[in-house]
Parts: sequence; C-alpha cells; structure tokens
Amino acid sequence: MKIFNLKNIGLLVLLIVAVFLPVVISDYWRFVLTIAFFYTIMAASWNLLGGYTGQFSLGHHTFAMIGAYTSTLLMQKAGAPFWVSIPAGILLTMIISSLLGVMCLRIHGIYLALITWAFAEVVRNYFRLHYAFTGGDRGIDSPLIFGTMKPTPYYYLFLGIAVLAIVLIAVIMRSKIGYYLRSIRDDPIAARSMGVDIVRYKIFVFMVASGLAGMAGVFYGHSIGLISPVMGDFNEMAMIIIFVVIGGMRTQAGPIVGAISVRYLMELLRAQSEFRIVILTAIVILIMRFFNGGLMELFRRLKKWIRRDREGPVSAYQELEQKQG
Amino acid sequence: MDDRSNLLEVKNVVKMFGGLRANDNISLQVEKGEIRGLIGPNGSGKTTLINLITGIYEVTEGSIHYYGRRIDGLQSNVIASMGIMRTFQVARVWRDMTVLENMLIPAFTQGLSRREAKSRAEELLDFALLIRLKDKQAKSLSGGQNMLLQIVRGFMHKDLKLYVMDEPFAGVHQSIKGIIIESIKMMNQGKDVTFLIVSHEMSTVKALCNKVTVLCKGERIAEGTMEEVANDPQVIDAYLGG
Ligand SMILES: Nc1ncnc2c1ncn2[C@@H]1O[C@H](COP(=O)(O)OP(=O)(O)O)[C@@H](O)[C@H]1O
Ligand SMILES: [Mg+2]
Repeated sequence: MKIFNLKNIGLLVLLIVAVFLPVVISDYWRFVLTIAFFYTIMAASWNLLGGYTGQFSLGHHTFAMIGAYTSTLLMQKAGAPFWVSIPAGILLTMIISSLLGVMCLRIHGIYLALITWAFAEVVRNYFRLHYAFTGGDRGIDSPLIFGTMKPTPYYYLFLGIAVLAIVLIAVIMRSKIGYYLRSIRDDPIAARSMGVDIVRYKIFVFMVASGLAGMAGVFYGHSIGLISPVMGDFNEMAMIIIFVVIGGMRTQAGPIVGAISVRYLMELLRAQSEFRIVILTAIVILIMRFFNGGLMELFRRLKKWIRRDREGPVSAYQELEQKQG
Repeated sequence: MDDRSNLLEVKNVVKMFGGLRANDNISLQVEKGEIRGLIGPNGSGKTTLINLITGIYEVTEGSIHYYGRRIDGLQSNVIASMGIMRTFQVARVWRDMTVLENMLIPAFTQGLSRREAKSRAEELLDFALLIRLKDKQAKSLSGGQNMLLQIVRGFMHKDLKLYVMDEPFAGVHQSIKGIIIESIKMMNQGKDVTFLIVSHEMSTVKALCNKVTVLCKGERIAEGTMEEVANDPQVIDAYLGG
C-alpha cells in the first residue's frame, strides 16, 4: 500500500487546514469546532462499537459523563491534580465498560440497546439525585485545564485527542482485530466456528470505545468548566447516532464528516432553536431512504459518476448494484 | 479403545430440545484419515450432532472426545483452534466482507501472518476458481459459490485435522460439486485431514466415503460401508417408511 496516495494526501491537507484555521476564525467558531471535535470522538468511537462490531449500545454518552464526573470529583472532593484525575477518569470508564461488556455478552440487537439504555438512565439519575456529592441537576464546576476561558488552547487539545482517537481506531480496524470485529457483526456464529474469540473481542471493543468516550468526556469537563447530568440525556446519544448515520456508518471518515457538518449546520440553524431537531430528523430520514451509507456513500457515488465519464468499463461494484436494482 | 486411532469419539450423546430428543444416545468413532459419511432422513439429528461436536450446542448427556480429550463444553473457537473446522448447511459466510477477507480470518485466528495467509488464500481461491471474485463482497456471490467459499475457508486453518461438513453438495451446481469433491480428496490424501460429511447424495457418499453412519429419529441405526448399510433392513425402512 502506498503512503502517498490521494486519500492520505487529502487527510494531510485537512489536518494542516485544521491546524491553521484558528488564525482566520473568531473565538466563537473556535469554540464551536472544539465541541465538534468532542462529538467527532464520540461518533467515531461509537462507530467502532455500534457500527463495525454491531454492539448497538445506547449508553455511549454515559461513558463521557462518567469520565467527566470522575475526574472533576476527584479534583473537587479529594484535591487530586490533573495528572492523577484525568487518567483515573479514563481508567474508571474502561473498568465500568468492561463490566457492562461482560453483562452484555449474550445479549444482541434490541436487547443490548435496552440494557445499555437502562444503564445510562441509572447513571444519569445517580448523578442527578446525589446532589450533595455531585451538585445534582445544577451540575458541578470543573477546573479548567488551561486556566483560561479563551478557546484556542482547547481547540488544539481537542484537535489533538480527536486525531489520536481516529488514528487508534484506524489502526485497530486495519489490524487482525479489525477483521474479527467485522466478522462478529456480520455473523457471530461463523466467527466463533472459525476460531474468533468473540468474548474477548466484544469486551475489548467495549473497553476501547468507552475508554475513548471517557477520555473525550474528561477533557470536555475541563474545557467547558461546568458539567451536569445533561451530558447523560438520551438526546446526546441520539445526536451521536445521527452524526454516524448522516456521515456514514461503518466508514472511517463518516463519523468525522457527520459530526463536523451536522454541528456546523446546527450552528447555522441556531435561530430556529427547537425546530433544528425536526430538520435534522428529516435529513436522517432522507439519508436513510436514499443514501443508506450516508454522506460517504454520496461521495462514493459522485466519484464513481465522475470516473464513469472518463473510464467507461463497469466495475464489479456497479455490476452488483445494477443486479440489486 | 486405542485413543491414537480414534480421532473423534462421540459417547452416548443425548441432546434434548425441550421434550424432543434430537440426538438419542448416539455413539460413534471416527479414525484418523477417514472420510466418514453421516446420512439419515430429514430431521434425524445430523445437524444437531455437528453442532454438538463443534460446540455450538451443549450436550444434555454423554461426552465427546477428540484425540482422547474431552471437548464437549468447550467454546467453539477453542474447538476450532484444536484443528476442527466446519461448514453450515445454509452457508455462513461474512456477507459484508470480501471473498479474500473471508478466507483470511481462520488463518489469522490460528496465528498465520498476513503474508502467509494471503498467499495461502490466493492459492486456494485459485484452485476453487474463485480468484477473480476475491475482492467482491460475499453477498454478491451465488449460493453455490458461497458454499464453495465456505468450504475452502475452512482449509485456511493451518493445522486442520478434522473437517465436519453439513450437506456441502446440497443445491450446488455440478461443476462446483466437482471442485468440492476434488478438494476433499486432495486434503485427505495430501494433508491427512479427516472428514465427517453429512450428505443426501448417496452416489457421492458412496464414491467418497469409506464408511457411513446412519441416523434416524435421533438414533444411530447402522454403520458400515455403503453396501452394508444400503442392505440393512432398518435403513431401508427408515428411508422408505419416512
Ligand atoms: N435449535 C433447535 N431447537 C429446537 N429443535 C431443534 C433445534 N435444532 C434442531 N431441532 C430439532 O431436532 C431435530 C433434528 O434436527 P436436525 O439435527 O436439524 O436434523 P437433520 O440435520 O438430520 O435434518 C428436528 O426435529 C429439529 O426440528
Ligand atoms: Mg441438517
């Protein structure tokens, strides 16, 4: 495989643009993009779990919440420094998620969704109700990691960890483990019979995906300065799924494209307030109907359409598509 | 009994589904290097027995031994890693993965490197005349091609000892059937792989298998060469009496 193919050059250009973008945009948009990067991590890690592996968890947002609260509470209640509280927050999400992963081993599809949703509600209500400890619905102040409200350092922090998360997921999906995860979603019985230790990889993927969500959550708290049970609202989970579906489930760029473009769209529609969710839902329905593979599918078709003009011969993919109508 | 010659030993196995005895006190031994046929009318418990051997189901009573070691109760993937591969009556390939990717997984799980796995896969796909489809998703293949892919996928295991096949010839085109028979013979003679093959095709079973075991209504009713069992009154009764 070539390192300097068109795709990698494109990625590099995008990264350079992202690095220099803050120079030309306002503080407001830097903040918007920081949040978009947070959701990029959430969407990409959920895609690993729910997309590639087929573990349709509805508790992914909760791990961001657990990470954020753990780190913040360790600092506020126990006086821990950042370098202790941040790893501790990530570690705890990984431990809890592997326990949840073990519980969900024999559960599939809608039942897995229900169990993880119930887990999410239990955690959210715990943080709401134990207000003496957690600040309840009002939330709790989270120490700012850079000690300032200026958005630029947080922009780079989230750009950095988003790139880290995306690279980690790409490495996993290209490794043998990536093959195993896809085989588990596709046909777990065949996977087991062909020697895939599905117990091990199901727990592994829960742990990695939730660990990434935990990491995003920890830094989110320390960037925003206030965390509250809103982080655990089901709306958050729905948004993550919307990002992935609009961008393209089971593609590597899909969650990134989805999270950033939809967050951007939501900012443009800010004046519409509650009506935004209606518009988004309509878009999701349109995409599900016409571009099952999301925006990435749209790009692929466009690319194919441009190539067809130039090249002519029908590719295997087109053949297949025509057969299926 | 001598453990060395008995690759697989099924001892008094019972499998209950609720009140139904799908396998009723079945015993059988398969020797190393055999190509054993497993026949019987529909619903006689053949697939159930395969699922017990490969750890998809748990036995209700009895035990299953492989090289003298008890394997019932082990996870399917552990059983696979011991050198037992299988195919399914309705082909189970990973539909959203390419033909080549389908081939790589059993090699990866058994510790083959990417390079080794790929060259072995291409060799086998070439043999199976699937090589030009290697980058197509498995869901775009015909039923027969899927069956063939499923079969050669099992050959990717680097220490394959026992291959259990559930109706590998059902519904496949004559030419594909030929390739499947050829591959079975090749792996049996060249690599000393033992086979346990469920099939309805008496002529194929007769040509391929040294010995057949006959199941009926969950019980083992006969065993021997094809000629022997074909003349067994119980077997004739089972097939004619329904
Ligand atoms: N998972 C299952 N649950 C309940 N009954 C089953 C199950 N699998 C098989 N059976 C029943 O067990 C009997 C044997 O089935 P099977 O092993 O599939 O037969 P064969 O492969 O010889 O046609 C049948 O009566 C079938 O209906
Ligand atoms: Mg059957």
